[in-house]
Amino acid sequence: MATDKELNDFLANVERRAFKQAVYAVRKDESALDIVQDAMIKLAEKYGDKPAAELPMLFQRILQTTILDYFRREKVRNTWVSLFSGLGRRGGEDEEFDILEAYEAEEGSAAAESTMDQAERAQTLRLIEAEIQKLPTRQREAFLMRYWQDMDVAETAAAMGCSEGSVKTHCSRATHTLADALRAKGIKL
Amino acid sequence: MNTDDINLAYKLRHALNENLDALPASTTERLAAARALALSRKKADAPAGQRKGGRFFDLGFHLSGAGLGRLGVAIPLLALVFGLGGLYQYEQQQRIAELAELDAAVLADELPLTAYLDHGFNAYLESQQRQQ
Repeated sequence: MATDKELNDFLANVERRAFKQAVYAVRKDESALDIVQDAMIKLAEKYGDKPAAELPMLFQRILQTTILDYFRREKVRNTWVSLFSGLGRRGGEDEEFDILEAYEAEEGSAAAESTMDQAERAQTLRLIEAEIQKLPTRQREAFLMRYWQDMDVAETAAAMGCSEGSVKTHCSRATHTLADALRAKGIKL
Repeated sequence: MNTDDINLAYKLRHALNENLDALPASTTERLAAARALALSRKKADAPAGQRKGGRFFDLGFHLSGAGLGRLGVAIPLLALVFGLGGLYQYEQQQRIAELAELDAAVLADELPLTAYLDHGFNAYLESQQRQQ
């Protein structure tokens, strides 16, 4: 059974990565913060009495579910908004692309303020994040859980609700996609 | 995945971790506040005595939501079975009493034995009883 300290240490350890995971999925910092907070509360309220070893898998599962719930709510909200305002869904998609374009534009301003090396490094990191964001959802989740959250194949499969074979396939495809994308942009790690 | 893929994956992991340090202070503060809120709502550990009691009741007396649902079906079914059983017993007793009355009449020589074979005899007995 996880003590308060174990739960606190676990959440402190994963909260930043969880936030980034949520940002990669929903692309909005504020929404990502809400999602992480909801996931933390659900974990503490419902599974606070579980052993500490089970927390990573449970938290990832809750996080994925909370992100899915967010998309469901957004879909419903978009439906109503488009019904009453006459703005179609296509308009919403255009807005998302605008955000991405603005995101890339920030790279230039950050680079202008830093030294050349720091700017290049920062730009590389942002490009990596952007490429990770572009991955298909399942591939991205499998990749991040396996290689960023330090979960093994079985834990990742349990958190994603799929077979271990599927996790390996998702991870392999994600890695190849990222390798190709980074190579195409001339990025060498 | 081959070694190159795994190497790339771990290099990406390193890059992602670098980015974590660059999170704005407002974000880290909000995450810390969310963690504190979650901890304040942590599921309380059940006291040892209560857990032991729970196990005892699990042996046969513990009524969970699902258990109550099953009882809700089982009790009317049991009542129906007992009701039908009681009705069958009552009908059997009535039949035995009628036959005993007939036997008694035969033994008392009030009736000829052939009366047993008479299909209208039951109707006759009934009409006699009504007259009495």
